[in-house]
Amino acid sequence: MKFGKRLKQQIQESLPGWRDKFLSYKDLKQLLNLISSAPPVLSGSVEYVRAESEFVVLLNKEIDKLNSFFMEKEEDFIIRHKELQQRIQRMIAKSGSEASEIDYKAEMRKIRKDIVDFHGEMVLLINYSNVNYTGLAKILKKYDKRTGGLLRLPFIQKVLQQPFFTTDLISKLIKECEITIDSLFPAPAEKKARGEIEAITVAGEGIFRNTVAALLTMQEIRRGSSTYSHFSLPPLNLPDTDVVKSLQLSSPIPIP
Amino acid sequence: MEARPALSIQRSGTQQLNNCGPSGALSTSFPVLPSALEEKYPNLPDSQQVPVERQFKPCTSTVVSPISSSSGVVGHMFSSSSGLSTDLHFSSVSQQEKHSRQSPFISQSTSCGTSMLFQQASHSGVLQSTASSQYTKENNDTSWCTDSLDFLDYPINQNNPLDSCNTGEILPSEDLNKRNWQEWADQLISDDDALTSSWNELIAETNVTDPGLKVPQQSTTFSIQQPQASQQLPASSGETGPVVPPTPSGSGAPTKQRMRWTPELHEAFVEAVNKLGGSERATPKGVLKLMKVEGLTIYHVKSHLQKYRTARYKPEPSEGSSEKKHALIDDLSSLDLKSGIEITEALRLQMEVQKRLHEQLEIQRNLQLRIEEQGRYLQMMFEKQCKSGLDLLKGSSSNLENPLTDLTEPVLKSPDKSNLGVSEGNDHKMDEVGEKQKSPENEVPENLEATATDTPNSPPPKRAKLDE
Repeated sequence: MKFGKRLKQQIQESLPGWRDKFLSYKDLKQLLNLISSAPPVLSGSVEYVRAESEFVVLLNKEIDKLNSFFMEKEEDFIIRHKELQQRIQRMIAKSGSEASEIDYKAEMRKIRKDIVDFHGEMVLLINYSNVNYTGLAKILKKYDKRTGGLLRLPFIQKVLQQPFFTTDLISKLIKECEITIDSLFPAPAEKKARGEIEAITVAGEGIFRNTVAALLTMQEIRRGSSTYSHFSLPPLNLPDTDVVKSLQLSSPIPIP
Repeated sequence: MEARPALSIQRSGTQQLNNCGPSGALSTSFPVLPSALEEKYPNLPDSQQVPVERQFKPCTSTVVSPISSSSGVVGHMFSSSSGLSTDLHFSSVSQQEKHSRQSPFISQSTSCGTSMLFQQASHSGVLQSTASSQYTKENNDTSWCTDSLDFLDYPINQNNPLDSCNTGEILPSEDLNKRNWQEWADQLISDDDALTSSWNELIAETNVTDPGLKVPQQSTTFSIQQPQASQQLPASSGETGPVVPPTPSGSGAPTKQRMRWTPELHEAFVEAVNKLGGSERATPKGVLKLMKVEGLTIYHVKSHLQKYRTARYKPEPSEGSSEKKHALIDDLSSLDLKSGIEITEALRLQMEVQKRLHEQLEIQRNLQLRIEEQGRYLQMMFEKQCKSGLDLLKGSSSNLENPLTDLTEPVLKSPDKSNLGVSEGNDHKMDEVGEKQKSPENEVPENLEATATDTPNSPPPKRAKLDE
């Protein structure tokens, strides 16, 4: 249950409101175990059919859940995106008047922070989509393997078209965000001490923690496993894995 | 609509059963079930129960026999899809109990294409209570199946309600096996409005609550999906394209289907709101009128307006304890420039990590899409192979050999990589991992199904031809 563990880790690291919106991989797996252990259907077994139908029911339910959460967040992001743009425009308009240097700076910092968080959340949503898709693909593969059924291929085709997997809009928003951010941030300053930066960034920052965790989890998931086949994704080799790992802390450091 | 060979088999099977005796084992289970049904679903009208019962009699046995004559693997297919069709029963029952008929849309469409299977699963009718309880708990969001379960409500002794969902073509039984899954998959994938509308009529006939709820959702989902992409392209005026197609049965039933918003739609929304004097003043009704977007309901506007208001008056309510960060910034903003730079650097670092994750996610997603595409391609190639194999068979004079060996031979002959379509679910990523091979498994019968019919545009030239 390697994936299951990874998924659990990912969920734990995820933003609070998201935690119960992930794929119930474990439940699906349990149902699958039930199916495999039940006597085959041709001998008139009732448990088999029952377990199977429960499995499919749960699959559909999960997909509904994923879809609705995703679309809701997407809607939120669309609204926030627009709002951020308007804030920035207002700020730029204000900056011309030189009302108050400090206010401007404070507002600037706030906007920067907000927009970076916004970017982060969107990326996390895409990660959410991907993790759930991976889970679905895996459980379907297991299903086919265990029951000899042919559920996987058509089902996954369906999944590919689901709202929660069609993440183009969010990607587009993310790219626009990046462009905006580039314009908002000054040219990179000299390297500060890494420790200070990390302390500030990691402290109580759910999004950042989640992002780091997501990257590392992705790498872990794609590491070769016993069932690694040529059908699996290739291993992920992040160039700065050590750096990323160093950003991962066991618990948030609260700043007094 | 697709052909429904299962139907024909079922019919003939029914006749067979009525004439000769059914297999003993199955018939003994029958008497048990009706009573079980009755006690579990006392509130069901009799007309509902009767057809379900009647389904028990015909055919589980006859369904089994033609299949078992083929390979055993087919039986698996059979069994797994039976689970799906069981869902049909579940939902038909749950409808009576109440409301949201969401979910097992996959099974719904399965049933349409594989009617015999649900008869097979009918003996699990007793189990419906568990599943239906799952149903009722489900939320009312859009799901992605085309068909509704309603046809199950029709007394089976009528012509055959399944006729309404298929063209009733009669095909030889060997096609049956691969047809089943193809039908099923196609059903899932296609958006059949004709089917949907006929369901609507049927729905109207039976006393089912929330008549319009499911069906429009189904077609809606699909319509939402497709225009979605096109909408992100330059949308002209405030009126974006059909984001939400008009629901066929636009009754008073509040459609709780989920709407997928786009930036363009949101622009139109904001414009309308501003015209009405701002987010506080604007009413959902007014906004709805101004926007003039077909298919948009007041519920959509209402919820969106709510979100909009929240976003304006509490900017960036992002999760992840951003409040702490705000406090941090406020404290530091009073400090000097240095801390400002620190914060900026921290944000920059955060951005780097985020960008990295996004990049990796994109790559991963593309890979996943490619894998599936190749899987589909191989499947299709294999089906072509099977077809040509079958044609050969039909042309051959002696049918003494096992038909399957004929099919496996051409597949086995083709040397290497491209042979992988044979193995179920273990398709190779040809482009990337071309050197490595998996020995082709002789699970030909398992793949006697066709799935999506669309062809990849340019099959990788590396693949050896399967046809030799």
